Amino acid sequence: MAVIGAFCVSVNKEVCLNARMPGKCATCAEVCPHAVYALDTLTGEMNVVNFNTCVGCRICAEFCPTNAIRINPAEPEYITRYPWTLSAVEEVHYKAQTGEYLLRGFGTTGQTPNFDMITVVPSQIASAAPLDKYREACDLQVVVGEDTCENPVVLKAPFVWAAMSFGALSKEAKLALAIGAAEAGIATNTGEGGLVAEEPWLANGYTDKERTHKKHQGGYLIIQWSTGRWGVSVDYLNSGDAVEVKIGQGAKPGMGGHLLGAKVTEDVSRVRGVPVGSDALSPCRYYDVHTLDDMKHMVAFLRDVTEYKVPIFFKLGPSRPYADVAACIEAGADAISIDGLVGGTGCSPDIVTQGVGIPTIACIPPAVQALKDYGVHRKVKLIALGGIRNGLDAFKAMAMGADAAGFGSAAEVAMGCRVCYACQKGNCPYGITSQKPEMRARLDPIEAGHRLGNFIHACTEEVKILTMLSGHKSIKELSTEDLRAMDLNTAAITGLKLVGYERPLPIWEAMGGNGNGHK
Amino acid sequence: MKTIDAKTKDLKAVNSALRESVNGVPVKIKNASHLSGLAAGFKHGEIVILGDAGDYVGVLNAGATIKVQKNAANYAADNMTAGTIIIEGNADYGVGQYCYGGTVVVKGNAGDFTATMNKGATIIIAGNVGNEVGTYMLKGDLVIVGDAGENFANYLIRGNVYIGGQWKSIGNNTKIEPLTDEDKAKLKAYFETYGIEADLAKFRKIVAASMKPFYN
Repeated sequence: MAVIGAFCVSVNKEVCLNARMPGKCATCAEVCPHAVYALDTLTGEMNVVNFNTCVGCRICAEFCPTNAIRINPAEPEYITRYPWTLSAVEEVHYKAQTGEYLLRGFGTTGQTPNFDMITVVPSQIASAAPLDKYREACDLQVVVGEDTCENPVVLKAPFVWAAMSFGALSKEAKLALAIGAAEAGIATNTGEGGLVAEEPWLANGYTDKERTHKKHQGGYLIIQWSTGRWGVSVDYLNSGDAVEVKIGQGAKPGMGGHLLGAKVTEDVSRVRGVPVGSDALSPCRYYDVHTLDDMKHMVAFLRDVTEYKVPIFFKLGPSRPYADVAACIEAGADAISIDGLVGGTGCSPDIVTQGVGIPTIACIPPAVQALKDYGVHRKVKLIALGGIRNGLDAFKAMAMGADAAGFGSAAEVAMGCRVCYACQKGNCPYGITSQKPEMRARLDPIEAGHRLGNFIHACTEEVKILTMLSGHKSIKELSTEDLRAMDLNTAAITGLKLVGYERPLPIWEAMGGNGNGHK
Repeated sequence: MKTIDAKTKDLKAVNSALRESVNGVPVKIKNASHLSGLAAGFKHGEIVILGDAGDYVGVLNAGATIKVQKNAANYAADNMTAGTIIIEGNADYGVGQYCYGGTVVVKGNAGDFTATMNKGATIIIAGNVGNEVGTYMLKGDLVIVGDAGENFANYLIRGNVYIGGQWKSIGNNTKIEPLTDEDKAKLKAYFETYGIEADLAKFRKIVAASMKPFYN
């Protein structure tokens, strides 16, 4: 529990403008959305009055004209009193006082097995020679639905934005994602909150609704079909370039969406059909699907109403990847996103985010195995989501067998997020996850869109470097041989060869030894 | 009136034929009970299904008038946004789920989870309904002439639920209100329009008790 009481606010009175000239500056109090600061109206002095409400977003430090504020995690107690850390104690107090369980945004704060304990194996003399990143070509393109629909999605780089809804995100953030996708030639996703009117043409690279002026190369808009069916109609389904059937998500598999009343404004209400101020809690499952046959029928009519033009994606939470991916293949998926437990969220019960699901690196091997067993690996595209931070993580996911990677939390960070884990409150001081006009005004969608485009450009170059130094001219050639696990846990979880041991662990060799062995 | 024989045809063939045929004239379809998603996403036209309909008949209907002469299987009128779907017989599980608008009329009985997450449609069931009917309704009218099962109108957020019979148990966040004159006039109009016999005096109205946050 990383929100309550986890941060220390310190103000250097030597340089604080208000401390030197009381009443002359109240910037920190004005920008803080959590009322940490209060101006004494009699003396003009600024005081830290609610230190426990600081979520560590650091907006005050960023706006402070004299750089007088430091926000530091309460580290010493965290270390010395484990497991009864300050935040654990505060969590118990909160529950005792309110009778409510905790909700939290962004994603897990816990330590989980991740890509960091995997290393990339470069080419030298005993393997295919490395390729020259600066002077030779590298194929990074990913095509979804090339044999199943009229208009396949052709990603210029092997990335997508993870689904994040309007409501969870501000309109400005949604537009920025569309602009960034257009700039980079990748796909953005409506998420489950319906359509922002500008998303389709912005994602396709146009600056106007009439599509007369094309500014960017153009990307794609994936239309999400979810359990709450917010804002869903035939026109909605036909407004994008693909349809994604959401089954679950990494941060809260087995639960539906949570959009608290504080973020259900008139605009959000209009799109979702939920009363203003009322919580929009999506169901955990489709009320109109009970069997795999139902899911097949759902895919069939989704293809029908979109006139067989666009590919069908599925999005899975981290549960039983082999069986779940197999079910998606049987249901007719063109692409399957699998979201590990590090995946982000606008709001989730804390215990679910912290303790439910399996890590992304554990999702990929069985998902790949299912695709191979059905003979559709590299045909039905696998997209790895959940805690992917850069081109290095993405490369590792792709070498493990994914075709592309998705950025959700990283996209928010690229827009300016400082990871304060308080998205659910609706007070995001950077205007990314808030619906409040004064917060939204801080996010320029064009500038943020350009930052997103830059981020993808940089990650694309990173993937290109790693692909070519591994001796490949295409990401389609990547394999688990390009990776090694750096510890026993990671080798056991992923089936990758262990560094120094140079083969998979015996438990994996017994299952075929190809690094993708279990069901 | 054109008639399409759906026997041995798949969804794509039948819906394509329908799309080509619904320009201004009613179209009949026969032997279509094996198809799921029949007449999906139509914006106009009049379609008459002779006999039974399969799952998801009229899913995403956006303006067409669809009549099923006998029974409909699961999830009829799913996610409809406009238009009218009339089922002369019974409807199985989940008729009228996720609807945003339009009208669904079932002349017989309807199954569990009818009208779940209704967001604005008028859904009229002339007979009895199963359990969990009207769950998480957000807008629109749900009219049940007969009886309802367990957990009726559970988690009601907004909209009106009218019932002429009894329920086995009622769900959370509900309260019972007397019918206003406006309600009576509305119900009378519904019944006259769709030829349903009902005793208005027996009807009760259920609305949301609160729109407070529910997460905890």
